[in-house]
Amino acid sequence: MPDTYRPEVIDHLVRPRNVGEISDASGIGESGDAACGDIARFSVRLEDNALTDVRYKVYGCAACIAAGSALSELVCGKSLLDAARVSKEDVRDALGGSLPVGKEHALTLVLDALHKAFEDHWNLVAGDMLVEGYGGSEKNDGKTVVAAMSGGVDSAVTALLLKERGYDVATVTFRLHDGEKGSRSCCSPDTVLFARDTAHRMGLPHFTLNLKDLFQKRVMRDFVGSYEKGRTPNPCVACNAHVKFHAAAFLADGLGFHHVATGHYARVADGPSLARPRDAAKDQTYVLWPIPRELLARTVFPLGDYEKPEVRRIAEDRGLAVAYTPESQDICFIPDGNYRKFVRKKVAAEPGEVVDTAGKVLGGHAGVVDFTVGQRRGIGVSAPTPLYVTEVRPKSNQVVVGKKQDLAVREVLVRDLNHFLAPDEACSVQVRYNGSPVPCEVEETADGAWIAHLSEPVMGVAPGQSAVFYSADGERVAAGGVVARNGA
Amino acid sequence: MAVWVKLAKMMDHRVYLDHAATTPLDERVLEAMLPHLKERGGNPSSLHASGAAAREAIEAAREAVAAFLGASPGEIFFTSGGTEADNLALFGMARAAETSGKRHVVVSAVEHAAVRESARRLEESGWEVSWIGVDEHGLVDPAELSAALRPDTALAAVMWANNEIGTVQPVEELADICAEREILFHADAVQSAGRVPIDVARTPVSTLAISGHKLYGPQGIGALYVRDGVALDPTLLGGGQERGLRSGTENVAGIVGLGMACQLASESLEGRVRHESRLRDRIISGVTELPGVSLNGHPEMRLSNSVHLSVDGVEAEGLVLFLDALGFEVGSGSACASASAGHKASPVLLAMGQDEREAFSAVRITVGKDNTEQEIEAFLEAFSTAVNQLRELSPLTTT
Repeated sequence: MPDTYRPEVIDHLVRPRNVGEISDASGIGESGDAACGDIARFSVRLEDNALTDVRYKVYGCAACIAAGSALSELVCGKSLLDAARVSKEDVRDALGGSLPVGKEHALTLVLDALHKAFEDHWNLVAGDMLVEGYGGSEKNDGKTVVAAMSGGVDSAVTALLLKERGYDVATVTFRLHDGEKGSRSCCSPDTVLFARDTAHRMGLPHFTLNLKDLFQKRVMRDFVGSYEKGRTPNPCVACNAHVKFHAAAFLADGLGFHHVATGHYARVADGPSLARPRDAAKDQTYVLWPIPRELLARTVFPLGDYEKPEVRRIAEDRGLAVAYTPESQDICFIPDGNYRKFVRKKVAAEPGEVVDTAGKVLGGHAGVVDFTVGQRRGIGVSAPTPLYVTEVRPKSNQVVVGKKQDLAVREVLVRDLNHFLAPDEACSVQVRYNGSPVPCEVEETADGAWIAHLSEPVMGVAPGQSAVFYSADGERVAAGGVVARNGA
Repeated sequence: MAVWVKLAKMMDHRVYLDHAATTPLDERVLEAMLPHLKERGGNPSSLHASGAAAREAIEAAREAVAAFLGASPGEIFFTSGGTEADNLALFGMARAAETSGKRHVVVSAVEHAAVRESARRLEESGWEVSWIGVDEHGLVDPAELSAALRPDTALAAVMWANNEIGTVQPVEELADICAEREILFHADAVQSAGRVPIDVARTPVSTLAISGHKLYGPQGIGALYVRDGVALDPTLLGGGQERGLRSGTENVAGIVGLGMACQLASESLEGRVRHESRLRDRIISGVTELPGVSLNGHPEMRLSNSVHLSVDGVEAEGLVLFLDALGFEVGSGSACASASAGHKASPVLLAMGQDEREAFSAVRITVGKDNTEQEIEAFLEAFSTAVNQLRELSPLTTT
């Protein structure tokens, strides 16, 4: 790397292009690095998904000024898709090659500001659309797809496979929550940058969507509220039900694209219906059941036909830097995994009684939010045989405990169903993330709920968890819903 | 590239306004040095004629340097530059004083790195260091120095004039305070030599450092004045040159150059100061007409050639490079100047109470004896163009 600036940098410094701000911009983005004090701001005007005007401002070193100028020149007049494809390397090339040591961050900074302007544009277009539940617009045709990109190996290979199959691919990363700094949670700002780099290395356009409000309303609030109500939530299910697929479809519609894709391990069968993937160990149908049918109809899961080791091998073969990233966590917004602490911070918990199934008081507890059905640890009551939480009663602030056999359930009431097949095609049901399907008979109630009569008792069925019904061959999801109540 | 920028480049007339970094070599200095590089090549320690000639040239230069400082030739020791002179003063005096059990030094917070880092090294090796602060003009308060002195204080060091902001310290008063208490006092006079009258007969410093290339002499040569009777341990060991204090074969041409530079400075000090001050004041009045441009350092007690500015809403690096593209060479006021080292705010500006962002907005313009009024007028125009354009670019500027 050179110690001094190249003539191209000095030229952009002295004669910067596209300086200024657009008063009625389609989107404005600002990125700043607190550590060095540099700030870049981009404003863009978009007409029919083309950048008809780009303006930028920079406070910072010569590298930032020149990088902003060069980037504005690279994207102005381009289609939004081509603009979102412009990479750090492209800007570096426009500046005549590598920047002096310690100045390369300028490329990241200006690119991030431009992408935040795009993000701002999409959020302005979206308004409350996503919060209200986005069903998608009229289908477009064509081999076009928006692929969700978390920065991990699965989503990167997803985008790559689609590209290799001849799709026009646009990638998108969602900002879901303010992840803690330095966390390995998949949604921290670092992972946004990493996902963008990964997409750009594949020559793909990348977008970000800010879904923090939506995620807060539809996932995190529900997560905390469930514990208050004595229910066991599944935030991944809530995210798939209300956030991810809707947002991807929204972007696809905005770009005039047809399909949406994620790196989930599942398949879309005729109907459309949800079907199990080739890699049974990675099967994610249990958390994907709430995808609305009209969105599933346009969804592609390329990894459904691959085993995980193959996916890693593809990433290695194609030289993707993501090949060795660790598996993402269970709950992305709780990076340390301590969800009790997380819930405790959000809700006030009152002490109450621990009672047995007959109602006899055995001891006290510090709050019902600390308990879920099936739990054995932390009950705080000594007994000759191990005690399990069999019920949580938030109204009376009681935690009911019993023996292991008290957890056994033969009947499960399931509401909020998302149907893919007729009720009589549902032959088994899975009621826990790490459980396996149990044969059952389905009885439909007058109000549309399903009662699953289980062929054998199942332990620890917790209200709030998902119940997913499978077809006779066990390969297709017949329907999914939420456990409302369980009975002996 | 804009037409006028091209013109500036084609004119090939670069205006050098960074004399605090280094000064161009005076033609007469070069003339004096050349014979020692071309014809004579003797080692001053040799007994033959060439050696004797070299020895003679060195001693003549020593006399010139001594005369320039009001010292006697026996008090002048040649070094490789200002940094070595500062190091020799601090380590030399500290080691010599160690036998007396004194292990405390007092140093100002705005010293050049050569003194600051030497004091830090002393601190690491068990010495106690008191760092005395400065006011918003970068000025050391004599009362604060006085209060920092202790019975076990071996030495104090305050620079004569600051290399960044140009503030000239009340060195005479500071040296007097130390002399009364029989405490050694070192003054780094690298920036002030040739711009402020220096007379060690009047100012009771123990040691004083100067550098050749800051007063139109060559780079790679400096000198340390050591008052007669002040004990120093050498830091370089070897053949015992410079009366045992600074071993190593003498840089004969450099020494001759320094001697000539000091002689020229002695002869023309008054005229240089008058000329530089006029250009300096023209710059100050010109640039401060722009909004958000303010002068750093003391308004009166400042070097005749130094203008140090904070420019709101602009980072120094861009401004310096912009001016460079227009043909004007100035310094960025902070250490972030070096393109390779990343950002680091100047400790001098931080000591004066500025925040980091202000410190990154600092530029240093230092005129020299050969700058002309026309050059300054052209500079003012370029400066205004650069500042306005960079501000137009800044999201921090509200328009």
